[in-house]
Amino acid sequence: MAVLIKTEGLEKIYNAGRPDEVRALREVSLEIDAGEVVVLKGPSGSGKSTLLSLLGCMTRPTSGRVTVAGRDVSRLPERFLTEVRRETFGFIFQQFNLLRQLSVLDNVLLPLYPLPCSLREMHRRAEALLDELGLSLRQHLKVRYLSGGEQQRVAVARALVNGPQIIIADEPTAHLDSGLAGELMEILGRLNGQGKTVVIATHDRFVYEHPLVGRIVPLHDGRLEADPP
Amino acid sequence: MLRHLKILEFAVAATLRHKGRNLAILVVYSLVITILASVLFLTRGLKEEAQRVLAGAPELTVQRLIAGRHDLIPTSYGSILASVPGVGRVTPRFWGYYYDSLTSCNFTLLGLSAGGGDHLELLAGRLPTGSGECALGSGVATARRTEIGDDLVLIDSHNLGVSFEVTGIFAAEAALLTNDLLLLPETDLRVFFNFPEGSATDFEVQVFNPQEVATVAAKIKQRLPDTRPITRSEILRTYDSVFSWRSGILLTVFASALLAFCILAWDKATGISAEEKREIGILKAVGWDTADVLELKVWEGLILSLTALLLGLIFAWVHVYWFDSTLLAPVLKGWSVLFPRLVVTPHVDLYQLFVITFLTVTPYVASTVIPSWRAASADPDSMMRS
Repeated sequence: MAVLIKTEGLEKIYNAGRPDEVRALREVSLEIDAGEVVVLKGPSGSGKSTLLSLLGCMTRPTSGRVTVAGRDVSRLPERFLTEVRRETFGFIFQQFNLLRQLSVLDNVLLPLYPLPCSLREMHRRAEALLDELGLSLRQHLKVRYLSGGEQQRVAVARALVNGPQIIIADEPTAHLDSGLAGELMEILGRLNGQGKTVVIATHDRFVYEHPLVGRIVPLHDGRLEADPP
Repeated sequence: MLRHLKILEFAVAATLRHKGRNLAILVVYSLVITILASVLFLTRGLKEEAQRVLAGAPELTVQRLIAGRHDLIPTSYGSILASVPGVGRVTPRFWGYYYDSLTSCNFTLLGLSAGGGDHLELLAGRLPTGSGECALGSGVATARRTEIGDDLVLIDSHNLGVSFEVTGIFAAEAALLTNDLLLLPETDLRVFFNFPEGSATDFEVQVFNPQEVATVAAKIKQRLPDTRPITRSEILRTYDSVFSWRSGILLTVFASALLAFCILAWDKATGISAEEKREIGILKAVGWDTADVLELKVWEGLILSLTALLLGLIFAWVHVYWFDSTLLAPVLKGWSVLFPRLVVTPHVDLYQLFVITFLTVTPYVASTVIPSWRAASADPDSMMRS
């Protein structure tokens, strides 16, 4: 399989030079192949969310390099970084990060506004996804009236609506019971089956022991531990 | 283009989502614009009226001063005035003020000499030609509820009621001077006010060369030291500065309200909440770039401020031109509150609209966009965590 994401000597320091400086990642070098399901595993504060943000072009490294599909994105200007993020990644966040005052449909439409497609096309794509995820009857409800599992499915729909190559999921089961967590893993399995690469940050045993997961990358204190055999 | 339209559509929806908050801002914002626009409309309207009226006024008016006060002028001065080089026609005028206790209004009574009154624009009827007739300004007609053919009774200087038949009513345009005007035949007016024989109120003096008005005025002052020659431009300047001064006072008072509103708007915008930062972070995370977020904020600011501008201008227009500037007239028109109701002619001035737009829309949009810029330039990751 071809390498899709590659990091070399990745470091991330928050509040550099200030008393509250935090060294979140140290010397992280990692390769993720296309079509893989990788779990970044580690306790809170181990740097998995930071690494996920760097892999997903949500922030830039303090030093080191991130390559996505052969393109070095670590020093890309903001505009191009956004373009890579928009065209390559779909994000599922721990807190869902939905806009609570918007309807289900409007939340799913969000990534499509900057794309060159008509409003009709936007609606067609979003409604098809909501239908696939069993949310078509709820599409006009404000997301704040949905259950946790439903909100997570809305987040999944939003992550998929721009047809990304890579799904980035940060603690996706943190607010779900085991039944809903299983449902989510099933959805991720389906997406992987369609050829999408899935990178998950979690410390939930249910997730990292799930048969879908191809590789576990353990993190501790911002460092990469050796891959388990 | 499609992208901009979609972001505009999102901005409209976002504005409608925060109905309560935006409605409150809209009310205050529109009120601020209404006050500002009313002051500017009315000031401009009054200046326009003055200019229009004075366009038909003589180049020079000569009054007599006694003890520093305006007094009746001997008609014999007419020949001296006519002998000043550069002077054309010299016409004595007979006019005076009349307080009408019935309506609590001050009217200006003007004597019409034979063949005079050409510059006065009649709305209906004709100018008085014979004794016992009169023509009225539209304000007088309204105040007295009088129409053409009615009789108007006034109390003369002997405290006797005199009846005049209304033959014409002046047009409402250029109402600043004709609004309170009551035109009588000259002989009737002299009897009504009991003018002493051989005296007039003042003289209208025609000057052949408009460039020499000031020189002619100086010569008149030299020959007749007890007179005061007043040029048309002086009157216009006086009107201009009086209205400017009054509107300046009002605008100074208003500036504090505008400043308070700007502080409120700035506070609203700079106090960009964690929720708003999170929203910007989410938009960026799902693929909006900084320019998209800023465009959204510009649209949001424009939707609110242009709506407020439109409402403010409409309210100001209605206030000034339909309701006679009820709130501002006592300050801006000054003593003329004793006039019959003065309706300022509607007048659109693009420069004025630009000033109002610049003073009200720009600060609001800027105070909406600038803080969002800071948030939109940051990493989406850090914005969502804040």
